[in-house]
This record gives sequence, structure tokens and C-alpha cells, in this order.
Amino acid sequence: MAAADSPSATLRRRDLCSRGIRLAGKMRSDVVDLLDAYVERQGLDASASVAAVEGVPVAAVECWDEQTGTQRLLENLAAYRAFRALLAQMLEEQREQLGEADAALGRALAAVLLQVSAFAYHLEELLRLESRGPPSEEGAGPPPLPHLGLFERKLRGLGVLRELAQWAVRSARDLRQLAKPGLGSGSAPSLAESP
Amino acid sequence: DSHIQYERVGADVTMKCGSMDWDAAVTWTANGTDIDESHLNGSYLILKNVDLTQSGQYFCYEGSSWHLKYQTYLRVGMPPKEPVLMCRSNNYPKGFYCSWHLSAPTYIPNSFNISVIHGTREMVCEKDVFPRNRCHIRYLQLFSTVKYKVTLTVTNALGKNSTTVTFDEFAIVKPDPPESVVAKPVPNNPRRLEVSWQNPSSWPDPESFPLKFFLRYRPLILDQWQHVELSDGTSHTITDAYAGKEYIIQVAAKDNDIGTWSDWSVAVHATPWTEEPKHLTTEAQVTETTSASTSSFMPPPTTKICDKGAVVGSGAVAVCWTAGLVLAAYGVLFI
Repeated sequence: MAAADSPSATLRRRDLCSRGIRLAGKMRSDVVDLLDAYVERQGLDASASVAAVEGVPVAAVECWDEQTGTQRLLENLAAYRAFRALLAQMLEEQREQLGEADAALGRALAAVLLQVSAFAYHLEELLRLESRGPPSEEGAGPPPLPHLGLFERKLRGLGVLRELAQWAVRSARDLRQLAKPGLGSGSAPSLAESP
Repeated sequence: DSHIQYERVGADVTMKCGSMDWDAAVTWTANGTDIDESHLNGSYLILKNVDLTQSGQYFCYEGSSWHLKYQTYLRVGMPPKEPVLMCRSNNYPKGFYCSWHLSAPTYIPNSFNISVIHGTREMVCEKDVFPRNRCHIRYLQLFSTVKYKVTLTVTNALGKNSTTVTFDEFAIVKPDPPESVVAKPVPNNPRRLEVSWQNPSSWPDPESFPLKFFLRYRPLILDQWQHVELSDGTSHTITDAYAGKEYIIQVAAKDNDIGTWSDWSVAVHATPWTEEPKHLTTEAQVTETTSASTSSFMPPPTTKICDKGAVVGSGAVAVCWTAGLVLAAYGVLFI
């Protein structure tokens, strides 16, 4: 494996970051469309507030600009692995609830699940490039679902998709930080002071 | 004793001359002018249905001694109506600002109090020195789904009013317009204009938070704009300009992922390069010159101009050759 700071590794990192940024952009666009469809099909109010739900990775972060590259990658990877499991659960619930009556929503969910899986793999590649390697997935996965009624499950799904949309934006920003020349995985860039 | 007295427009105001008895002989003045006795009820000054012109300094003097017994500064005004509040982030991800104004003047001093709540956390909005009706907040968190709730309360001596706005972190992101927009002709290219600009200086980190741009342009003689969206770079070459026509060009900016478009930049004007006209000496040379010059009046092949104002940008297919020939003929007349 090339050293993390070698020219070839740098080029490979920038290439992976560029593709990851495009993937994140497409993913966000599809998640936003899926959110609209989900709200409509599930009969929800688009402006409904959803409390933070256990097991749903929260995109909100303090001191974002001070994070190192490795921190960014690890947090992103943990999030997308969790989303992968959450979306799989949502897909199963959706099929049980609506069956074939709403195949379009099921297909949209499946498409986003595929993108999330692809993005998680992408992040693993970036971590391998950092000579760090991705953490193992043993024991990972969403916590067992508490017994939720149908409406609570719908709200939970809304929360999952909203946070995923935020993560997609955050991930693009994280990858842009990572792609900056001269920044290793351990460096924390800082924003220039505004005039 | 002296004090300020605030009264609402249209109110009836009664002023007592300090501790003087009702039946004491007094003289009232307003802004140095004696007030007619018809406005007095004993020693009380009665002002009915006050208006803004009655604001001013009022003095009450004892009748015979002209000792000053009472003075007050009357300020006639209005309680505040619901203020107008807006919040915007033009320096994402550093923070955002909120600014406000009153939809109608109160004519008396007002104080403003703003509260910003994010989830359960109350945030400090630091007031700007200038303009005074603005304050700014630094983001403590990014990428949050929790909405911000901003409440502005305006208070004066006659009442108070408030308004609340609620928004997502992403929704209020709106950069300032691009700066230093420059448009130049391209030598030896009669249908090109080279446009360049800079990121707004208030946008703190365009590398991590890149902007995309929207450019619009039209010849001054037409009303319809042509638009180009550009996902990167801060320059663009217009390739379908009408030769010899002055153009007006503007650029707007938006974060690549979130928020809304900026206002349009300051407009710049430019005219594509044109060939220098040759001097006319012989008839043969006139004919040659005429033929060369008419080519500059041919319509661009990507533009349809059969209908007035129906100018279509790049991608249009139809070419109105008949119109082109007519224009060429007129071109001869205007050389």
C-alpha cells in the first residue's frame, strides 16, 4: 500500500474525494425527492418536528472546521453504515405496510439504500488510503427497534431521511476539506477569517 | 420639574401646571409661543386629538411673577406596529445575521430586543455598530436539522410588538453578489465577449464551500435576457453576441448545495470587437467595403429574430435567412 502522503496516494485521494463529492450530491438530490414522496405517501406534515431518535446518526456537529481528515472519515463511515441498516429496516417495514400498493416508494428507498451502501464503501476506500483501514462492522447496526406504533414508525422514517439529507451535504463538505492540497488525514484546516 | 411625556397621536392630553391650584393664573407656552387661553381649563392645559406638530417643549409660568412652575417635553407618537425581521447567512458557514425595520415610523424612540433559540439553546445575537438595526450570530453547530427561532420585540413608551421567524440552517444561506464583474471584447471575434468576476469577499471559504454562478446578458436594444448557469470557474465567454451591439451583463451566485441565489451583481456593459471601417475612395472599393461590412449585420445562426423580442439563446435552431437578408440590406444604408 502506498504511503498516505505519497504523490500517488494524494492523487488517488483527490480522485476518490471528487467522485465521492459527486456521489454525495446525487444522493442528496435523490434523498430530497424521496423525502417529498415519503411525506406524501405516509400522510405526514412536511414541517412536522421530529425529536432525535436513538440510533439515527445526527449530522449536526460543533467545531466542524477543526476536525481532522480521519475524524471526518470515521464519523461519516459510522453514519452511513447506520443509515444502511436503517434504510433496510424502512424498506422491509414499507413492504409489510404497503406491499405492492406503493412500489414506487419502495424502489426509491431501495435506490437510496444502494447509494448509501456505495458511499459507505467509498469511505472505506478512503480510510484504507489513510493507512488506517475502516473499523470492523462487528456489533454495528441499529439498536433493536422499540415497539413503535405505525405513526411513530412513520415519524422515525421521516427523521431518518431528514438526517440523511443533512449528512449528504455534510459529506460533500467533508470530502472537499479532505481533498484540499497539503492536508494530511491528521491536519485540521481552519477557515480564513472573513474581512 | 422637567420630564418627557409621550402621548399617542389622536389622544386628548391634560397637563397640570406642577403643584399650582386649578384656579391659579398661569401662562402656558409651546416652543416659545404663548398658548391661547381657549386651550386652558383653569390652570390645566387641554390638548385635544394631538398630532405630531404638537410635539415640543411646554412651559407653565405663574401669572404675575412669571416664575417657571412646570416644564415638559411632549413627544407625540405611535406604539410600534409588527416589525419586519429577516435573517440571512451571506458568510456561511461562519454565521448569520438578522436585520429588522419598522413598517411605519413611531416618531418616538424605540428599543429592540432579539432572542435566538436553537432547540433548547439560547444564542447571543451581537448587535452591529452599523447598521444599528442588525445583529449577527456565530454558528455553534453545522448541518443541524433543528430549526432556529428568532423573535424580535420592539418597545416604546406607548406599547410593544413582536414578530418571530423560524428557519432551517440551509434555507437562509444567500451569498452577496459576485464582485468585480468585467466584460471585455475578444479581439478579432465580433460575436464574443469575455466575462470574468470574483467571489463575493464576504464568502469566507469558497474552496470548501464553492459557489456556482448564473450569468445573464442581453443587448441593450432587446428586453429578453439569455442565461447561462456555471458550476465552476469565475469566467465565461459569450459566443453568440450580436456583432457591434452593446450588451448589459450581470452575474449571481449561490452555494453549490444549499440556499438561494444572490441578488444580481452590478451591471457591466460591453460591445463585441468590430473591424475598423475602411476609408471609401473609388466606386469599386465602395462595393468591396460594402460587401465586407454587411456581414457584421447577419444574425447569429443560433439566434432566431423573426419575431420582435423572440431572441433565443444558444441551442436554438431556426435561422431566419429572409430577415437576415433584409438586415443586410439595411446594413448597407447605415454605413
